[in-house]
Amino acid sequence: MSRTAAIALPILLVGLLAAAFAPAAEAPTRDEYVTTLEKICKPDALATQKAMKGARSDVRHERFKVAARKFARATAIFGSTLKQIKAVPRPSADTKKLAKWFGYLDRQSDYLRQITAALRKGEGVKAQRLTARFIHNGNLANYVVLPFGFNYCSFKFIRYG
Amino acid sequence: MRRPATSRAVSLAAAALATALFLAPFVIESADGEQTQRGDVISWLKGEPRPHDLPRDRLAPIAIHLEGGLRTANGASLPRVTRLEIGLPPLGVLSTRGLPICPARRIRNLRSREALAACRGALVGRGRLSSTVALPNQAPFPVAARLLAFNSRIGKRRAVLLHAATANPPTSSVLPMLLHRGSGRLGTELVGRVSASLGPWPRLRRYSITLFRRYRYRRELRSYLSGSCPVPPTLTAAPFSFARASYTFAEGGQISISIPRFCRAR
Repeated sequence: MSRTAAIALPILLVGLLAAAFAPAAEAPTRDEYVTTLEKICKPDALATQKAMKGARSDVRHERFKVAARKFARATAIFGSTLKQIKAVPRPSADTKKLAKWFGYLDRQSDYLRQITAALRKGEGVKAQRLTARFIHNGNLANYVVLPFGFNYCSFKFIRYG
Repeated sequence: MRRPATSRAVSLAAAALATALFLAPFVIESADGEQTQRGDVISWLKGEPRPHDLPRDRLAPIAIHLEGGLRTANGASLPRVTRLEIGLPPLGVLSTRGLPICPARRIRNLRSREALAACRGALVGRGRLSSTVALPNQAPFPVAARLLAFNSRIGKRRAVLLHAATANPPTSSVLPMLLHRGSGRLGTELVGRVSASLGPWPRLRRYSITLFRRYRYRRELRSYLSGSCPVPPTLTAAPFSFARASYTFAEGGQISISIPRFCRAR
């Protein structure tokens, strides 16, 4: 074996081993994942709470346009949060559970968009029906990740006006 | 002109179906109860106003039913609760005017039947409570208690006395819950400090309570709890923050859970 080959072979082996173990090393633990996501969710959850202040009262008093603006802002915040947290590497043991959770969160995003559209058109009853589904879907999302102990990343109706 | 009975029956059935379809998600929810987890402790809460259908523009008598509790994800022993807070909905009004007051001393160390005989006039609710008792060098054992809630006063503040009595072992305790104006979206809060005199052994597992009382005061029929569903005529229902349960633990830490519900305007 030539000298170059003798040096290159171990380097190649080390490289291959590193590549093989790299994804496992990158996957965070559940605790690390929760900490990372909560850091992302916290400012957005607080911003949502601020943006949605009085929205329920607006709907009750038929100020649908005003409520629609608040829901539109909340939809934008939720969409941006979702995009950010989807990009975070997931714990390998929880991928299935988290895929289900993100499925519910996508649906939450759709409901928010639909509620905003219904309120813009002044369709209060439709918005109210969608709100019922939004709350139910949010609770289902929470059940999936119950053991994660999320606070800001979990659905809390109290944040929506 | 009178509507035929069949037409009326069809209208009623249609209204019932519409109500059922609209409330279906919440019926499913109430079977499971909403849950939250902090560390290994899981708190759950469910409940509803009774009836769901309330007038838009005036108060009507209501009952509030709540069920909640604690469990651990890993089956470990439950932490000891030192403070319990129950938030009640803002759409309701709690009235104690003209309702008799039951002082705590009158029902201390009494069985349920005796406590009821002593303070029946002040009764505002009933329920059940179960806890686990973990005595040193013994396997933990469950204890089921009957709960009675009485209108009371602690100092100048309105309060609810929760009288819990068990048949086996025959014992009872009284937990005073002070009434506070609710914070945030809740109308009234019941706040109780679990007495240190109970010792470190009982661990709260689950409870259910229904608060309801109709009474007469100056020839007027009144209700301990009243509520309305203030939505405009164009809407039929509205979501609201129904209740919150918050527990503080002796070992430190706290867990809270809030649940929304819908009221339906009639």
